[in-house]
This record gives sequence, C-alpha cells and structure tokens, in this order.
Amino acid sequence: MLFEQLLIVGLITGAVYSLVGVGFTLVLGVGKVANFAHGGFVGLGLYVALFMHNQFDLSPYATLVPATIVFLALGFGIGELFEWRARRAGEIGQLLIGLALLLLIGGSLEVLFKDNPRTLNGTTLGHIDVAGLRIDGSEIFAFAFTLVVAVGLYVTVQRTRWGRAMRAVADNPEAAGLYGVQVPVTQRAALAVSIAIAGATGVVVSPFTVLTPDVGTSYLISAFAVVILGGIGNTLGAVGAGLALGVIDSLSSGYLASYWTSLAPLLIILLVLLVRPDNGAVV
Amino acid sequence: MTDILGALRTKAERLPNIGPFRWLVLVVFVVIGWFWLGAMSAATVAVVLLALYYAAAGSSFNLLFGSLGVFSLAQPVFVAVGGYTTAYLYIRHGISPWLSMLIAMAIAGILAIPIGFLAMRRPGTVVTALVTLILSEAVPPIVSAVKALGSSIGLYLPVKSGTNWSAMQFASAVPFARILLIMNALFIAGFMWFARSRWGGWTTAIRDSDVAARAVGIPVLATRIGVFAAAAMMATLPGVVYAQYNLLSNTELFLGTSALFQVLVVALVGGSARPWGTLVGALVMTEISYHLSQAAGGRPGIGPLTFAGAFLIMALVLPRGISGAWAALFDRQSVRPAAGVGELLRDPLLGRRREPSQPEPPLVATHHDADAS
Repeated sequence: MLFEQLLIVGLITGAVYSLVGVGFTLVLGVGKVANFAHGGFVGLGLYVALFMHNQFDLSPYATLVPATIVFLALGFGIGELFEWRARRAGEIGQLLIGLALLLLIGGSLEVLFKDNPRTLNGTTLGHIDVAGLRIDGSEIFAFAFTLVVAVGLYVTVQRTRWGRAMRAVADNPEAAGLYGVQVPVTQRAALAVSIAIAGATGVVVSPFTVLTPDVGTSYLISAFAVVILGGIGNTLGAVGAGLALGVIDSLSSGYLASYWTSLAPLLIILLVLLVRPDNGAVV
Repeated sequence: MTDILGALRTKAERLPNIGPFRWLVLVVFVVIGWFWLGAMSAATVAVVLLALYYAAAGSSFNLLFGSLGVFSLAQPVFVAVGGYTTAYLYIRHGISPWLSMLIAMAIAGILAIPIGFLAMRRPGTVVTALVTLILSEAVPPIVSAVKALGSSIGLYLPVKSGTNWSAMQFASAVPFARILLIMNALFIAGFMWFARSRWGGWTTAIRDSDVAARAVGIPVLATRIGVFAAAAMMATLPGVVYAQYNLLSNTELFLGTSALFQVLVVALVGGSARPWGTLVGALVMTEISYHLSQAAGGRPGIGPLTFAGAFLIMALVLPRGISGAWAALFDRQSVRPAAGVGELLRDPLLGRRREPSQPEPPLVATHHDADAS
C-alpha cells in the first residue's frame, strides 16, 4: 500500500518537475539560452495566482488563461532583453541577465508578499481516493495539464512549420538563417513560450504548493535536473525525466531518510554525467 | 556615445603606465587600508568587512571564470567547508582556526577533484553551471541531516573574552577586516603571478580552444581540475574568517540563496579582466546596496531587491564587469588579448613570435566573451 501511495505522490511531483523542465529544455535547445530566471517565472506565476485569489477571489483556473497570455507577452519582452545583451556579450551576458532576473523576481516577491510561507485556501476541484490516498482534483489537473502541454509542444515541434524552424535553428542557426528562417524571432518565440509555460505552471500548481519568495531557485534546480536527465531540447525526454525524478524523490523520502530527497537527484545527475558526459555537452 | 568613449580612451592613453609598479601599488593599498580600517566607525567597518568577505569568496569564482571561462556556482560550498571545518575542529578538538585554514584547504582540494572531474569533463559553460548549482543547493539539506555538524542549527563557537589571536577571536571587527584585507591582497598578488605564469598561459589556451590546446600537448582536463581545486582551496579561507567573526557556522550563513548569489554577483560585477576586479566589485555592490536600502527606509526584503536591481543594471551596462570595461578603455596595445595557443593556431602567420614588449596579459581575454556563444 505504501509503495502505491508513494508512487502516486511521486508521479504528481514528477508532473510538476516535467512541466518546469519542458519549457526550460525548449529554450536551451532552440535559443541556446540557459534561462536562469526560468524558476523565477514559476514563482511569479504562483504569486500571481495568490494575488488574484486574495484580491479578486478568482480561482487559479480562471486566472490560468489570462496569466499565460500575459506571461507570453512578458516573454517576448524578456527575449528582447536577452537578444539585445547577446549581441554584445554572448553566453555570459545571457547567464547574467537570467541570474539578475531570478534575484529581482525573488526580491520583489519578498518585498510585496513578505517572507513567510503562504498557501491558497479554498480552491478545490473535489478529490478521489486511490489506494487509500486522497488525491486532490487540482493535482490531477496539474498532471493532465503536463501531459497536454508536453504532447502539444511535441506535436508543434515535430509537425508544424514553426516547429521545423525551431528544430532547424537548434541544429544550426547559421544554416537555418541562410534558408530564410528568421533566427532571432524563432529564438525569441521559444523563450516566450517557455516563460508562458513557466508562468502557467506556477498558476496550475499554486493550489497544492507552499509559496515562498525564493521558491524560484528550487524550481530552477528541478529544471536543470530534468534537462540533464532528459537530454537538452528533448521535450518528451523532459517529461520522462521529470516523472522519473518525482518517483525517485518520493520513494527515497518514503523509504530512506528525508535528506535523500535532495541527494537523489544530485546522484542521478552525477551518474548520468559519468556515463554519458556528452549528453550534457550539447550546449 | 562613441565620441565619449573615444575621448576617454585618448585621455587614458596619456595617463602614466603604472604596470611596472603594480606590486608597489598593492603594498601601498594594503598599508592605507590597514590604517584606514582602524579609523572607521564600527558600523562602517561592519559594511567593509562584508565587502572584503564577498571579495575574497568571489575571487575564487573569478579565478575559474577569468582563467578558464568556467562558470562555477559551487564556490560557496567550499566557503562553507572552511566555516564548518574551523567550527568543528575548534569545538571538538580545540584546534586553532589558523591551523584549520590549512586543514580546510586540504579537504576542499580533495573534494574538488571528483566534483571538477564531473562538472568539467566536457567544455560548456552551461553544463558546469548546472552541475555546480545543483551541488550548492543539495548540500544544505544534507549538512542539516548530519548531527556532528549541528544539524539545521549549525555550530556555535564558544566565546573567549577579549582579543585572542590564536583562537581568532577579537573584541572588535577591525582585526577580522584586516585579516580579510591581507587575504584579498594575497589573492590579487596570486592573480598577478598566475596571469604571467606557465599555468596562466595554459588556461588561456584552453579557454580559447581546448581542442587546439590538447593538440599542442597541454593536459586540458588535469589543468581544469587543478585550477578548480586551487579555487576551492582559496574559497575556504574567507569561510574560516567569516565563521570566526560570526562565532557561527551554518548553511544559511554560507549557502542561503542571498549568500549564494552575492558571492557570484560581486565577482561578476567586478569582472575578471584585472586582478583587482572582484575587490572593486564587492566594494561597489556593498556600497550601492547599503545606500539604496537606507534610502528605502530599511524595509525588510528591500536589501536583496536593491542588490538584484543594481546587478541587473550592471549586467546590462557592463556585461564584463567594471574591470572588463576598464581593460577595454585602458589597454594600450588596444584589443589583442594575451595570445594563447589557440589564438596562435588561428593566426594566419602560424607560430609567429610575439613582440617582447607585450602588456601584462589580462586574466580574461578582452574580446573573447563575445565569441563564446
């Protein structure tokens, strides 16, 4: 019984990891940008949901679509910032901007919402009982949302014209440019989509997450772990890796000491780098 | 804008070249700093001490970043190794912090070898950043689970009354600040030596093109790991002093989110194009952050926010840091960075001898970052 319960909890945690990792891997693959602020936008999404809930009594699900659109627009703006900096300072400039944004988002959230942990109360989608475990509707929604986003992204990247352009840019930006692909626009679009997914992730997971201003950093770590494990630019790989990490997290904290939860992903990543060092060396 | 830069550059070219006297300048700086610290108010010393601590910790980051282009976020972990080593050895065995410095360096050096191997086995800034960030985030919960290291509370050092040099405990902050000042000066001197040493040449070659460096027989991975271990050993020293100053060693002090990023931010704002970059970056950022949070009325959380804001502005305006901008402005022989092997191989006149009167090779090549991506 315990095993099934841990497995379910792990899959739900893993779905969140996947969702965070999917956007991150997209932008790393296509834009070659390691957007350090990615986790920060998840944190921002969480607090947007909290704000809308407390101020306007809107449930996160009502906030989801408008918030995603706002994050998409914000993403294009951020893309402009990265692009502008990239022209002058390259990869390091992008790392700097990402880090600065991560810190700025964390700092702003701390000033606006204080340091103490917060939760969203009273948002419920009902619940079901599986294997003696009560699973909240919001968690099932998050799981389904992950699958929809991942499959949608996969289909877009594999089947559409825009996806083909993205793959071309990921493969060889110069050659793609010569064939008429608008490289900067494609990269910026990938970044905007990833930021929109990050923001939406925050909104979707807000009903069952404890909110703290520096939550962004821990999401960033999960994103990193998922990308290394799933392969850079591989959206389906990210989903698999996220779910696997979630289950490993849950099982290790259930059967071993609690600090294994943070040690397990590290060990897995180190193992992957030991066995397949080139997997991480794509960038 | 170009005109202003041009005018500044012309002015800069007329200034006397202090290059040959740089060791003298460093000594004068230390002497002035030593006495100045004695004359400061207690509040100012506390701020300067923080800046000196971040500068020393950030120097280890800039050693890696400047010489190899390696973006390591694990440096605060090694700072924490210093803090925990001194606290543990002092509490359990009464070992003097001065001796703990050596022991901590040895521990960090040994730890750094496997970490460096995994993080830098293949080139790529992002992979190293990923692995080292994950490491620095995974360490606090692991340390918190170890009873001998004080679990989540940390280790509190027993207080000795008055000034006790052997236990590195003082009634005021001034001696701590002076120790950190000397430490920074030693690091700067080390950078100046390193930039001209054979190792410096190797690291420049590896950073420029590791394939070319390997082709001419430079042991690429060994050099990378060696420099990583050296940087790790450096990082423990400010950790020891900071733990003694706070009479405490815990994960929040060394590895809390703000502590983690502040080390990085001062290093990046200072830049690694000149040996003094990190120190200037630390002083500038601490000063800006202090004044901005004072102006904002000291509201909780405003400190990190102003710090982040100042960092964003610096990242946008001076992506290679203050010393990078300085180097671009003052490099007499204009743009040519120290020629690494990689560069010589790319040179159409392959193997051409360099003129004997080259300027001091900067720790970071002036125009290389733009090519990195």
